[in-house]
Amino acid sequence: MIHRYGWGTVTALLVALLAPATFAPAALAQDTPLTVSGQVTDAETGETLPGANVRIVGTQIGTTTDVNGRYELQLTPAASLLEVTFVGYRTREVSIPEASGTITLDIRLQEDVLGIDEVVVSGLASSVKRSNLASSVETISARELAEISTPQTLDGAISGKITGGVITSNTGAPGGGIAVKLRGITTINGESQPLFIVDGVILNNDAISNGVNAVTAAAAGGNASSQDNPANRIADLNPEDVESIEILKGPSAAAIYGARASNGVVIIQTKRGNAGGGVQFSVRQSLGFTTIANKVGTRRFTEETAVDTYGPDDPEPGATPEEIAQIEAGQQAIRDLFNQTGGAFTDYEEEFYGNEGLLSTTSLSASGGNDRTQFFVSGLIKDDEGIIENTGYEKQSVRVNLTHRFSSKFSADVTANYIRSTARRGLTGNDNSGTTFGVSLTSTPSFLDVLPNGDGTYPDHPLNASNPFQTRDLSTIEETNNRVLSSARVTYNIFQQNTQGLQAIVEGGVDYFSLDQDARFPRELQFYDDERDSGGLVGQSIQGRTNNLNANVRGALVHTLSLPEPDLFFTTQVGFTAFTQDQDVVTSAAAGLIPDQFNVDQAASLQTNQTRLTQDDRAFFVQEEINYADRLVGTLGFRAERSSLNGDVDQLYFYPKASLAVNVAEFPFWTTQTIDQLKLRLAFGQTGNTAPFGSKFTIFNPTSIGGGVGLTISGQRGFADVEPERASEIEGGFDVSGFDGRASLEFTVYRKVIDDLLLTREVEPSSGFTLETFNGGQLTNTGIEIGLSLIPVNTSTVRWVTRTSFWTNNAEVTELTVPPFRALGGGFGATFGQIQIEEGKSPTQIVGIDDRDGDGAADDGTFVLGDTDPDFQMSFLNDITLFRNLRLTIFAHWKKGGDNINLSELLTDLNGTSPDLDEPGGAARAAAFGVSAQQFVQDASYLKIREIGLYYTVPQEAIGGMLPYVRNLSVGVSANNPIIITPYKSYDPEVNNFGTQPVATGVEVTPFPTSRSFLFHLNFGL
Amino acid sequence: MTTLSLRALVVLLIAGSLVGCDLFSIDDEANPNGPALEDVLNNPSRDNILAVAAGVEASSRVDIDLYLVNVGVIGREYWRTSSADPRFTGDLLGKASSILDANTFYTTRPWNARYRTIRNANILLQLADLNASADGERLTEAEADYVRGFAKTWQAYQYLLNLNLTFENGLRFISPGEDAAGPVLSYGESLGQIAALLNEADGDLDGGDAFFGITDIAFANRALAARVAAYQGNFTEVLSILDSAFDVDGIGGAGLTEGAFHVFSTGSGDITNPFFLAPSSDVSDAILAHPSYAADITETDGRLDKVQLRTNGDGEPATATFDGLSTQFGFFVYKSNVDGIPIARNAELVLLRAEARAQTGDLAGAIADLNTIRTAVGLGDYTGEASQGAVIDEMLRQRRYELYGEGHRWVDVRRYDRLGTLPIDREGDDVWDRFPIPATENVGS
Repeated sequence: MIHRYGWGTVTALLVALLAPATFAPAALAQDTPLTVSGQVTDAETGETLPGANVRIVGTQIGTTTDVNGRYELQLTPAASLLEVTFVGYRTREVSIPEASGTITLDIRLQEDVLGIDEVVVSGLASSVKRSNLASSVETISARELAEISTPQTLDGAISGKITGGVITSNTGAPGGGIAVKLRGITTINGESQPLFIVDGVILNNDAISNGVNAVTAAAAGGNASSQDNPANRIADLNPEDVESIEILKGPSAAAIYGARASNGVVIIQTKRGNAGGGVQFSVRQSLGFTTIANKVGTRRFTEETAVDTYGPDDPEPGATPEEIAQIEAGQQAIRDLFNQTGGAFTDYEEEFYGNEGLLSTTSLSASGGNDRTQFFVSGLIKDDEGIIENTGYEKQSVRVNLTHRFSSKFSADVTANYIRSTARRGLTGNDNSGTTFGVSLTSTPSFLDVLPNGDGTYPDHPLNASNPFQTRDLSTIEETNNRVLSSARVTYNIFQQNTQGLQAIVEGGVDYFSLDQDARFPRELQFYDDERDSGGLVGQSIQGRTNNLNANVRGALVHTLSLPEPDLFFTTQVGFTAFTQDQDVVTSAAAGLIPDQFNVDQAASLQTNQTRLTQDDRAFFVQEEINYADRLVGTLGFRAERSSLNGDVDQLYFYPKASLAVNVAEFPFWTTQTIDQLKLRLAFGQTGNTAPFGSKFTIFNPTSIGGGVGLTISGQRGFADVEPERASEIEGGFDVSGFDGRASLEFTVYRKVIDDLLLTREVEPSSGFTLETFNGGQLTNTGIEIGLSLIPVNTSTVRWVTRTSFWTNNAEVTELTVPPFRALGGGFGATFGQIQIEEGKSPTQIVGIDDRDGDGAADDGTFVLGDTDPDFQMSFLNDITLFRNLRLTIFAHWKKGGDNINLSELLTDLNGTSPDLDEPGGAARAAAFGVSAQQFVQDASYLKIREIGLYYTVPQEAIGGMLPYVRNLSVGVSANNPIIITPYKSYDPEVNNFGTQPVATGVEVTPFPTSRSFLFHLNFGL
Repeated sequence: MTTLSLRALVVLLIAGSLVGCDLFSIDDEANPNGPALEDVLNNPSRDNILAVAAGVEASSRVDIDLYLVNVGVIGREYWRTSSADPRFTGDLLGKASSILDANTFYTTRPWNARYRTIRNANILLQLADLNASADGERLTEAEADYVRGFAKTWQAYQYLLNLNLTFENGLRFISPGEDAAGPVLSYGESLGQIAALLNEADGDLDGGDAFFGITDIAFANRALAARVAAYQGNFTEVLSILDSAFDVDGIGGAGLTEGAFHVFSTGSGDITNPFFLAPSSDVSDAILAHPSYAADITETDGRLDKVQLRTNGDGEPATATFDGLSTQFGFFVYKSNVDGIPIARNAELVLLRAEARAQTGDLAGAIADLNTIRTAVGLGDYTGEASQGAVIDEMLRQRRYELYGEGHRWVDVRRYDRLGTLPIDREGDDVWDRFPIPATENVGS
């Protein structure tokens, strides 16, 4: 007790300093202490709710319900209202009846189907009720994420589910790979992906190339290439472990995350154990198959069109007899090829992409605990095949999450997760060597026979450097990642009194992975024929090893103070964060292999690259939140941050924030019950984006000649004074909900301006450099986000929940101090159409040559031919439950507008295999190459049914007798991408040959086709 | 108890703030991925000088294949066929309405690579000057001179390659330590600058101590000087350079192939000859000899081995066809992926003297030089007309065959104003006389 009084003295001083006016004399002492107790239950089912929070309004006195949903509280003299909150339920305030002694008060909670009362993260160490939030924060629940269907990777599971986000998958290859852009374009050359935080650990989301560029030569000069189709490492997470995902979409919400938060913050919480009800096991099994979603078609040939396309042109008048003979021989060769198969039609798209891959996911979880210790343990085994033979994705994941309360003051939360994932993504996309599957297939006309012979041999492809079937079957392109994610959070209540509390939170974690990338191209492959003939280097082995460590720690003090009169609640937090990253990538490309050997030392030639990356960030933050009776909620705060990536590592950059939410419906004058929430909100914030590693250095690259080493100056001129980009955002909007929690509308407008853009400009190459980084320029994004959630039908037999979102963003380069330039990864030049950054224009505009005067010459200049950014997007989630047991969920996503640069079609045109080449339209398009790029710029609008799931929960009565141990049982069927409607003339309008890029999307060069999958589910609980 | 708690708190606060201070600072670390330019300039040691010099030689080979594609395809020596990139047989041959693009790889990459080597050589020149005041091991004066001559010769060569592409669109020059290059100079002015740079380098090399280097840089310097003089039409200068620097009369037979080369190897970090593709390569990625090479060659000319007849599975001749182009021959100048690419070699010296002699009226001397070339490849002595015009024709013919695949023919027919004599393979094809200056130079050529 002495201890407590000791703290009390300190507290009294603190309070006296903070709010002297409120230091009122204590209320009169009560003779008999009042106690309130009761049980909290689900209003509909009557189930008890363990773990619900019960608090006396206006104080910090509260408790949580025990395993039976029971609570008991000592009342303070002035107590008149109890507030009960529980995840997934509407918050309720209940008045305490005037009585003495023990009061019994049972409380029934309504399910919060629309998520109106959920709690979201607002600062680094505190959370806030959604209804008090001043900015729009998106939440994706476990159900929306992983329980409609079985997503292969976490990144695939969020596509289309973020209002205000443009999420584009780069490829259909197994193992993921997406680009996330929240509220428009936020950078031109900097890091473009949001900050991912899993249970407090800053996750590595790098896309690491596997070096197959050494074979494909997609990007000449060097092994590292963004055209190697790398997947982002966020894909490693097990979606089924995720409890919820919160998305802070812009600086107004994310300012407290500072210099890495310009692209938004994605906060992922994994599941925790339940306090009551013993250990619950849950087993989920899904089985299914995958198949190509959409085929492009292929051309049918006649002998004449075959010779026309692949043979030499007819001799010109005046040709010599030798020339005529030569041409005739050339034409005869094609005629022979055609007649070899009798002109038979082989659908190579079907042969190659037609694999029906098996999909299997087994997951098991156990959760349980008591009121002191809770645990959640999960395991996952996934084995998915792809639509191309020998491709696929496998994952094994184990997780243990433990929460323990040592005392009423001290609790700890520990998570540990081990993941092993293996992806075989094939060899697709751009190349300059005729080796990738896609490019090879474009030069495989349907009359050829290049199918495997069945005895392990493959016919030589007469019209291409490689036989894609041979490459597919004999090569190995695989990457395996071993990853450990672990976090700990310790909370200590330094003191807790009726009106105030002080809490210390220390949180930290590590994310370590070791990625092995293994690409083997054996000597037998056709594309080594030339080397074989000439004694060149036959066979290649490219081995990549990446070790990455992310570690971060955060310490914060949170002080809360309630003042009953007026009803004010202060939350003050101050804290410190540190982040460090250490990455080491070693890629060895060996060529000239000893037969059947693939170790890099078993080769005649070896090229090795090592790239290391280190980053250190330090920051402190202060935030003050003032809540007046839930009517006015204001927040002020800032973060100050320094980073080793900045030119001046000691410079602190400040990122302020300020916001205000006005809950109109909480004011006394608001009497209507129909609308129980009307909130007006306004928020402002700033965030940064640090320069890519190494921007401040001009370095030499190592080289070797004649056995000696040398130094060659890098083509990129460094910028010693590089600073972070700064994004400022102001957003405003309103939230309305009512009709008994059956309708809710969220409306937001925002304006986000990014200054000091990190630009990499092409410099005049006569300087000896080709690129340099600098800070300059400005981008502006404005946009609207609307979310409407409804429960149109809610009876005991039918419940229909629907959520419709609409969002649109308009981006403009408002200032650019350099001439227009091609965005990083924004295409291959004006002849093909390129994404061009230009002042006063959209940063995603597509510019290219066009024959405007119709004279057939490419001399009219370049024009804006399109824009990759959509006009707007909408998503539709419908969830219908019949008789409580049958549940149908449909998730549809509509993207209106936005163009792609379709160069797959160019390749099929050039290689004579486009299905429509014998029609006037196709022929005209093929002929336009070189004079216009307009034909490549194609509308990439789509309407996708992304996920559809139908589940039947076997009634308890039915299973009770047969399977006594089964707590619940459900069976279901689901599909991913069952329907894609698009005018776009390729596999999928969601594509990017260059992977995840800051600005560019939608440049297509023969990607891995998108698949659709159909699954059967069996889920049961024990 | 109270005091104990307070004391604990004070201790914790002090400890926390100390640790906090330490935690809050960040080290300004060097880039782990390569030495920084300023670090090298701050340490102009002998080792750094040797490394940057090797970097000059190594980087001069980057995209040399694209240069050879550009000049050889337009000069109708060979075609570069690629199913992945249609521009080799489109833009470069002027197919239909295609033109050369100022902002695409064939224009920008060779140009950029040459200027990068020039920048490296400029850093080398800076280092050579800084070394005199370095703390560590210093170069002797003669060594420093050699470094300067080496750097300037490489620069002159790099400038010349770019000027060969842009021709009358001109060139920009950049001095050591400068951020940006100067204005575009005309073709004539540029040739003059290059000649002056070579002569300056010659002076440095003369007194210099050749203590490193793989390429015979002194040979390259004078050979290039003679070539530049020929390009300038200054044939007395050609003769004077050849006389003073070389024993041209002593060249013959196998000696013709000797000279200064870009070298390649399969060693770690090194590169292989990027212009080597097997002559039998599939047309989807091949260098095909232009049919006129074999069609126009004299039957007994041993240089027919610079192309190779392509055959089908049965060993019969097979016509390769791509994009409306047909030939039976693959390009076979470079026999393996470690064959060197000539910067200049003895045969060119002989041909340059033949040219200079013919131009200055010494027709007999010219014919003698041409016969040196002819006999080496199994042709008899020249028996044609001995007029100046005929000898020049023969000289150009011998240059065409002798220097096939080494980047000369287009430049030669251009300076003799004979671009019109190059064969047109498809209706509507064009023969370009120059490349645009890359758009990234912002000079609006």
